[in-house]
Amino acid sequence: MAVRPVLRLPAPALKAVARPVDGAAEAATLAADLVDTMRAYDHCVGLAAPQIGVGLRAFCMDVTGHPKARSCAGLVVLFDPRVVDAGVPVVAREGCMSVPDLTGNVARPATVAVEGTTPEGTTRLVEADAIEARALLHELDHLDGLLFLDRVTSAATDLFRRRQYR
Amino acid sequence: MARFALSVFGRDRPGIVAAVTRVLADAGCNLEDTSMTILRGHFAMMLVVTGATELGAADLEARLGPVAGRLDLQVGVRAVTDDVTAAAGGGARYAAAVYGADRPGLVARVSEALAARQVNIIDLQTRVVGEPDPVYAMHFELEVPSGRADQVETDLRSVAHELGVEVSFHPDDADVL
Repeated sequence: MAVRPVLRLPAPALKAVARPVDGAAEAATLAADLVDTMRAYDHCVGLAAPQIGVGLRAFCMDVTGHPKARSCAGLVVLFDPRVVDAGVPVVAREGCMSVPDLTGNVARPATVAVEGTTPEGTTRLVEADAIEARALLHELDHLDGLLFLDRVTSAATDLFRRRQYR
Repeated sequence: MARFALSVFGRDRPGIVAAVTRVLADAGCNLEDTSMTILRGHFAMMLVVTGATELGAADLEARLGPVAGRLDLQVGVRAVTDDVTAAAGGGARYAAAVYGADRPGLVARVSEALAARQVNIIDLQTRVVGEPDPVYAMHFELEVPSGRADQVETDLRSVAHELGVEVSFHPDDADVL
């Protein structure tokens, strides 16, 4: 149970493909650390294990109280998640704790269904839209070593210097 | 360390970026933010670079001289002393699109309306397309002083109506995920 440092670019761990959790011994601690670390940052609605330097396919997310939330599954912690359904892409601006100075316009499915294993070992299906869908897909990208920068097509029109965290 | 603002403009052809940035690299300059694009067949480069303090703007422009001559480029270099990353900020992000039949003064009229409300234009891309009745399209990224978005939207719609063009205006804030 600890708030762990959030890695920032150019940390190589952010660009690595994470391994399946698949019952790894550190899974319970990882789940708790992810949630503790996410909760430690006001604006953070999701965090993936590679962001705290753990190369396992795990993330946490909670959009409760977010002004753009429609669906809200509450606190979600999933291991080895996979997308089982995805809707039509929409473009929205997003930022990332690991890329502190920039935000970017990224097209992502407006709705998504993600299935994974909870820390308790049960299968959980999360069906999401709006900001929750975007957050899920953003975190799943982290597990494949993908940052929002990898999904921006034009730096001129889609990438912006973020000011609030300077 | 000194910081310079460079502008380079010329007929588009392969090799402009390579030639210009090679001169800058050989001069020990580090490229910071840049914007480079084709505007109606001309390649436009805007760069902010840092270099050694003893390197002057005139010196840098002279170093670019041979490349400018060979590729027929207009080059301008000036020293910038302010910290370009610390631009005055604040306010909420909005995006605005304005488009319609082309006519002189569209950008001026729309941007005047924005300036009158202290709206900061962060990015503006415009394109004119189509013959014989050209359509003009502008896409703005804006920083709107807090609490003023409704007024700005009303003003934009009023100007658009007066000019006979279409406008859209919507929040464009980012979510940290």
